[in-house]
Amino acid sequence: MSLLRVEDLACGYDKKLVLKGINFSVDYGQLVGIVGPNGSGKTTLLRSIAGLINLENGSIKVKGEEVRGIEPREAAKRIAFVPQLMEPVQGFSVEEMVLLGRTPYLDRLSFEDNKDYRIAERAIEELKLEKLQDRDVTELSGGEFQRVAIARAVAQQTKVLLLDEPTAHLDIRFQMRILRLLRKLREGRGIVATFHNLNMAARYCQRLVLINKGEVVAVGRPSEVLTSGNIKETYRIKTLVRKNPRTGRIKYIALP
Amino acid sequence: MRIKRGYRHIIVIAMIILFALTVLVSLLFGATRIAPRLVWNSIANRISPQWNIPERIDTIVWRVRIPRVFLGALVGLLLAISGTILQGVLRNPLADPYILGVSAGGGIGAAIAIILGGGITLLGMGLIPLLAFLFALAAVLIVYRLSHVAGRTAPETLILAGVAVSAFSSAILALLIILSGKLQSIFFWLLGSLANASWNDVFAVLPYALVGIFIAYFYSKDLNAMIFGEDLARTLGVNVEKSRRLLLVVASLMAAAAVSVSGLIGFIGLIIPHFVRIIVGPNYRLLIPLAAISGMIFMLVADIIARTILAPMEIPIGIIMALIGAPFFLYLLRRRRMGGHA
Repeated sequence: MSLLRVEDLACGYDKKLVLKGINFSVDYGQLVGIVGPNGSGKTTLLRSIAGLINLENGSIKVKGEEVRGIEPREAAKRIAFVPQLMEPVQGFSVEEMVLLGRTPYLDRLSFEDNKDYRIAERAIEELKLEKLQDRDVTELSGGEFQRVAIARAVAQQTKVLLLDEPTAHLDIRFQMRILRLLRKLREGRGIVATFHNLNMAARYCQRLVLINKGEVVAVGRPSEVLTSGNIKETYRIKTLVRKNPRTGRIKYIALP
Repeated sequence: MRIKRGYRHIIVIAMIILFALTVLVSLLFGATRIAPRLVWNSIANRISPQWNIPERIDTIVWRVRIPRVFLGALVGLLLAISGTILQGVLRNPLADPYILGVSAGGGIGAAIAIILGGGITLLGMGLIPLLAFLFALAAVLIVYRLSHVAGRTAPETLILAGVAVSAFSSAILALLIILSGKLQSIFFWLLGSLANASWNDVFAVLPYALVGIFIAYFYSKDLNAMIFGEDLARTLGVNVEKSRRLLLVVASLMAAAAVSVSGLIGFIGLIIPHFVRIIVGPNYRLLIPLAAISGMIFMLVADIIARTILAPMEIPIGIIMALIGAPFFLYLLRRRRMGGHA
């Protein structure tokens, strides 16, 4: 049984469908990338799985159990979401922000207990943020803050992690740092993230979902999904597909 | 200046002691000079009668000073909590209790009551507080209606609607003042004062303060989750739309209750949340109780100054609040780097 299963998903804004007939699944230990051109519906897909957009049709199952329409707090214990480009808020330390991930587990009047602090600490360690723990989040670099945002989602202790453009606006070094951390985080979890950079996505994801105009073009291993033909069809550019001799992964070179 | 987690309870205790001191000083000073011992005896007498207190003194202590201290504390709490809630829900550092039209609406209500005759009472409530309260709520209701688009209320729309309704109400208020010729009494009300505090006022606003602070505290977890935006709050299991609506209603009721008994006392609802955030950080579970205590202290201190600095003449507390509040606000803003709402 898949960890996350999206079946026949359709959704939209103001009765105009943005996504339709979306099917894919994610297994334990997988980092699945959603790729596609601007405006293809990548973010909408992620937000609809996160429960932020009402579905017109379809189902979203976590460990075989429907999450569409369940209590928001229960859904928050199954799926965590890292929005694109969150604004750091002054006054929050790294630890305090990560502790926010414990929200669905706290009763209205209770404070975080030692267990919650331990879980937050572990999330901070997983994202290698120990040295920054007490820093104000507005003092961090973009790459550091993105790690805090991910640690917050990790503290939510969900099996499914959704990340919207986790590498957006980061330089190549921080992009790789985030992706390496995600590669570690996927152990025992399933991660779904949207990406712009096809080479990065191909290199670090086990599976890719290529979408265009709100529909799935291809799902599968990067080499199966990102064929010259598929890329030409969706991005309308010609590419050369080569194998990277060091990583064994495929890479793309745009042709003029 | 930010206090470390483990030491925060010390701040709470210090604030409570400070509050007790402020209450004490408030009771001892007033337009009429009364020896502190007499004030004390008058209070102790109610618990176990053993002194002979002149009736005049007893009246001043029990019918003037004590209700005034209670009312000042309650109004301070109402405005501080209202401002704290609104800054969180609207995600705007400039939000204060009056941002949604409470002040302008309340002003119209009070002006109408003053024109009709300020002395009239209805069911033990003065006409001024009654109409001020009703019109304040009416204004907020209009703001909500205007900003409710397609089943949801966006904070930005709400603020813009508040500005529009406030501007419109101010025009009506000005018209009422000019047509009625009662410039002075209406203007005095608008400046805010605790001079006419009575037990009736205290009991009228007490429920709003108690229920308001309870709900604010009860929803502090939701407010925390909303700090980083609606998407994050929703994926943390918070029913954002529902919490936001309830908190907006609570904040408006609290502000309207405060306005009805004390006029338009500005700045306190704006400053207190900023002040408390600097001390304990942005966690609403600490912010709410500390904003309540700080609001009470701040209001009582301003009131002590208002009634003693030019005694026996009393200065409207709104003037004092703006005179202390505006520079203090600037000081707070300069202390921290600009940007971010916390």
